[in-house]
Amino acid sequence: MSRKIILWVSVAVLCAYIVVALCAPLLTPYSPTEITGSPLQSPGDNHPLGTNDLGQDIFSQLVYGARITLLYGFCAALLSVFISTSIGIVIGYYGGFADELVSRAIDIFMPIPVFPLLIVLTAFFSPGILTISLLMGILGSIHGIRIIRSQVLSLAQTNFVEGARAIGAPDFYIMSRHILPNVMPLVMAKFVSSSQRMLVMGVGLSFIGMWDTTTVDWGTMIQKSYTSGGMALGLWWWLLPPGIAVVGISLALAMIGYSFEEKFNPRVGVNRI
Amino acid sequence: MTLVRIEGLGVRFSTRSECVQAVDTVDLDIARGDHIALIGESGCGKTVLGMAVMGLLPKNAWITGAVRYRDQDLLKAAEPDLQRIRGKEIAMIMQNSALSLNPVKKVGDQIAEPLLIHHVLAEKAAHDEIVRLLTAMGFDEPERAAGRYPHEFSGGMRERILVAVALACKPDIVIADEPTSGLDAGVKSRILALIKQQMADRTLFLITHDMGTAHYLCTQIAVMYAGEIVETGRTHDLLSLPMHPYTQGLLASLPSAGLHPIPGMSPSPTHLPGGCRFCARCPASIERCSREHPPLISTGERLVRCFLYD
Repeated sequence: MSRKIILWVSVAVLCAYIVVALCAPLLTPYSPTEITGSPLQSPGDNHPLGTNDLGQDIFSQLVYGARITLLYGFCAALLSVFISTSIGIVIGYYGGFADELVSRAIDIFMPIPVFPLLIVLTAFFSPGILTISLLMGILGSIHGIRIIRSQVLSLAQTNFVEGARAIGAPDFYIMSRHILPNVMPLVMAKFVSSSQRMLVMGVGLSFIGMWDTTTVDWGTMIQKSYTSGGMALGLWWWLLPPGIAVVGISLALAMIGYSFEEKFNPRVGVNRI
Repeated sequence: MTLVRIEGLGVRFSTRSECVQAVDTVDLDIARGDHIALIGESGCGKTVLGMAVMGLLPKNAWITGAVRYRDQDLLKAAEPDLQRIRGKEIAMIMQNSALSLNPVKKVGDQIAEPLLIHHVLAEKAAHDEIVRLLTAMGFDEPERAAGRYPHEFSGGMRERILVAVALACKPDIVIADEPTSGLDAGVKSRILALIKQQMADRTLFLITHDMGTAHYLCTQIAVMYAGEIVETGRTHDLLSLPMHPYTQGLLASLPSAGLHPIPGMSPSPTHLPGGCRFCARCPASIERCSREHPPLISTGERLVRCFLYD
């Protein structure tokens, strides 16, 4: 199967997830937290995926969970890309002391694994969607700053940046109008790959319970079914759907990310042959 | 009337181990309407000189002297003041057209940039001006050309676009740094004709290594060697009767004069000789040349840095 088909299938899958998240109230009559049946019902007419131990509809949880899961995934990715792009461009363009300072700080933070650090930090702060997106966004930007900076270092030396200076363009203008459009493809690729990372990281966090338990996302669903005996009882309709949902979106985003990377960085393609 | 006066300009680059004297006490007056060429071989400091006038040298450059423009010294001017002057009053046609345009911006937008940055025209009027400029630059379909990206044009066309960018704000003086490098002869002569036509009532400071280009575009020539000016004069006088042995060597090395290259290499800018810098390659050198550094000697209308005319 060619790369192009993989890309389009992945985009279609991603779009399907987004549509489900947006149209959640149209797809299911129940609220995800409402008790709408007797506990641990098997899939049936009223509850296509049965109910959990509290009698909440699992299908509704799955559909509404898409909202929360996609929300923190994209929010965190957006934030991380924003931070890494702006800081990367500024330090790469100006260089000097600020560059040195940020680069050394990155050197210190790079080897620290993000996920354990995130667990420690969420334990300190209140675990709302906003806080967690914020934390993931900041921690996830570290790697991106480095990539963008290295790209900007070479761009800042190009003739057309010199030319922009020669027509009297101020620094901010050069950074926003000349350098940013040139790093944009990289930023887009980074956004896709980091939304996948953020999404899986968020699901992981909620699975281990570092999460506000009143909001339902796929991580809390998996955790619930795991701890409340869904697994032991063999209730596959409780455990599998959120798991498959996570794998599906994560795969789609990863494939889109690879295709982008290949498009904007031809060397990757050569290496794969 | 002097427009730009370069006084004792020196540029030094210091690296950790060495010190490179790129430009050494250069004095040059550019009057309104002048067409002056600065000629020299690669590495003689001519591009650095142009960059110094624009205030675009990197931070590790150590600059001495003064560049007087209007009532200020450009070397001491604050960056925002320089930004107001660059592109609007002093414009530059950059070397290497293939790399001097942003690959991801439409050329129309790039030509409009100086107009919009300096608030010369509003967006709408700028668009009409772009079309006018592109027409003047010899584009058949200026509207369509404005909507294209730099890679869609040939080298000659890109050079025309760079000329349009430089001329957009109707600057007082245009500094052209090797405007035709990398173009083939036919395209080159058309570009030069365009520049000559556009520069008819403007001031041009041309930086080149090519005698032919200088001869065609400029009324005055300054010859630069190893960071300093060795001879200046009117184009016709200088070419018909070169005084400095280096200028004579340059002219003799042209294909039309029989392609006799000057023996040896220019001195390294890190270790400049104490006496005359051309001494080691000079066929007419005398004992004094290696001892003493010759000053610029005035002979009639011309200046020459050689003891032969002392």
